[in-house]
Amino acid sequence: MPVAPSLYSAAVKRPWLMSLFKPLAGWYSNAAGYRQMGLKADDLILEENETVLQALSRLPPKENYDRIYRIRRATQLSLQHKILPKHEWTKPEEDVPYLTPILEQLQAELKEKDALDTLTVLKNH
Amino acid sequence: MICRPALSRGSQLALRRQGAAKLAQRGFAAAASPKPSYEPTTIAGVKVASRDDNGPTTRLAVVAKAGTRYEPLPGLTVGLEEFAFKNTQKRTALRITREVELLGGQLNAFHTREALVLQANFLRDDLPYFAELLAEVLSQTRYTTHEYHEEVLNVIHQKQAKLDAAAIALDAAHSVAFHTGLGAPLYPTPSTPIASYLNENSVAAFAEAAFTKGNIAVVADGASDAGLFKWIEPFFKSVAAQSSSSLSNAASKYYGGEQRIAKPGRNSIVLAFPGAALGSNQPETAVLVGLLGGESAIKWSPGFSLLSNAAAAAPGATAKATNFAYSDAGLLTIQINGSAAAVRKAAEESVKALKSVVEGGVSQENLVKAIAKAKFNLLSGSEVTGTGLVHAGTNLIHGGKPLQVAETIKALEGVNADKLKAAAKTLLEGNASVAAVGDLHVLPFAEELGLKKRIPTQQYSATSHLVKLAKMTFAWKAAGITYNRYLAVAARAVRRSLKEDKRLAAERRGQQELRFAKWSNGKQGEMRNLADANAQAAVESAATGGVA
Repeated sequence: MPVAPSLYSAAVKRPWLMSLFKPLAGWYSNAAGYRQMGLKADDLILEENETVLQALSRLPPKENYDRIYRIRRATQLSLQHKILPKHEWTKPEEDVPYLTPILEQLQAELKEKDALDTLTVLKNH
Repeated sequence: MICRPALSRGSQLALRRQGAAKLAQRGFAAAASPKPSYEPTTIAGVKVASRDDNGPTTRLAVVAKAGTRYEPLPGLTVGLEEFAFKNTQKRTALRITREVELLGGQLNAFHTREALVLQANFLRDDLPYFAELLAEVLSQTRYTTHEYHEEVLNVIHQKQAKLDAAAIALDAAHSVAFHTGLGAPLYPTPSTPIASYLNENSVAAFAEAAFTKGNIAVVADGASDAGLFKWIEPFFKSVAAQSSSSLSNAASKYYGGEQRIAKPGRNSIVLAFPGAALGSNQPETAVLVGLLGGESAIKWSPGFSLLSNAAAAAPGATAKATNFAYSDAGLLTIQINGSAAAVRKAAEESVKALKSVVEGGVSQENLVKAIAKAKFNLLSGSEVTGTGLVHAGTNLIHGGKPLQVAETIKALEGVNADKLKAAAKTLLEGNASVAAVGDLHVLPFAEELGLKKRIPTQQYSATSHLVKLAKMTFAWKAAGITYNRYLAVAARAVRRSLKEDKRLAAERRGQQELRFAKWSNGKQGEMRNLADANAQAAVESAATGGVA
């Protein structure tokens, strides 16, 4: 399961829950530390997976290049035991899911394929 | 007592025999009391041709004006064809495939030079499903980027790899015959640079322009009229009535010429001549195609047709005559395929056969056979089944009338040997289009075959002048003098050939007081007049045989 199970859709429907969780989620994302290394949340998705590889191949070339740049920069920072200067941190509004929509689309395809592979034909006569 | 089954069986047989007798009687009479093979109607703005013989299966096709002739950029028709039955707004390509499999249907997309055809073959009861599917493919395909890269491109590359010499030669013949429009290749070869034109966005834009109600026709074979009326109206509502961008619609013009393409493997020659367009009144062309023929209808014998006899003289080659009829032009082709030497021989024999028609005419027997063959070709082509489906659709989208059987048959029967002779003569004396693909060391040139390349008269003088200029341009190189010397000689010659008064004026213009000196070892040499030095050098170069 490359995309983690999420309560996001449930929270969106309830404004009070949203108002409760949003600051918490923001704090968590900042505390997780990937933003300080210039990464986006979707850069952390495990790559060693057929679906994710397929999704990566569907990324636009520019998006793919930027992703590899971020990961290499983060690797370098990790080796040096450093974090980026503050103005280069990923800003919360930049931290958008760019891979998750493609992954969800791929999973829907797989699910549909699975459903069609195992369907039972009911004859109406 | 006679048992009931026997009685009913007998009566059935009798009935059948009666029917058979009636059929036998009708045989040729079908031509006497003919009706067009389909009745064109319009349902909710969509042109529809249908024929129903109450069979258990149906063929439903959408014929769109999106053939290679109308593509604004190379490769778009091919892209549109491969994008057929891919993801739509409503369902995925996988679901479409699986559902069609469950219904026992077949989907097919292909294109001709003028039309793109999306066809579905299915059981008669499933008409609503497939009517909806075809309309959905036309109006709601998503043309996604990942499908283009993951599927469409792969299929195009595979089909490109399968292109053989015959297909390339036919494309090349069309290209020299019509240049643009009909001259666009039916399938771009691997060496055609389409990558910069073909992508999902350009295909989507082309689809938007091509898939409008005015540009499509629905052709049905085996669907009830009631069913068509009921289902086309709601489903084809989503197809746009008009598009903001229109298709290029330049009239075709015949040019002619020759093209030779080196290619390993099989060999092919196409000899093409101006032919008969769709619906044009040229019965002699149809009969000439019947006479040239090529594919024998009888086993173990080349048959009567001229081309099959020509091919029989060159074992290993096949020759076939076809008239490719398009909406506003036609191309009569002789396609010869096989090993290089055999193709060469068969091509020579084919032209000889054509010449024999011009010189010796045709025997009465062959004429009768050719007319019969032409009738069969015409009638089988106009039926709304198989290839006729595309025919009917193409006719509809170009606003043509369905074939008037009685008149056409009468015209075919009216062809006599003299008319045929005249038609063959026009072909041989006209401007041929010749394409040779394969081993060019062996394959003949058009001129060797005895086909003329007539240069249009109004261009003749200009062209010949250009040819001379082209030679003159490099004469100085051949003479071995420098370009400056060449200019000086040419200018002098021009000046000397002027009339006395003009010459004096011109020579005065040529007088110059430029002087030059050669410096050697830091010392200035003798100051000399440039004009005198030039003249001296010219004399020297003339003395040494032009090497200066």
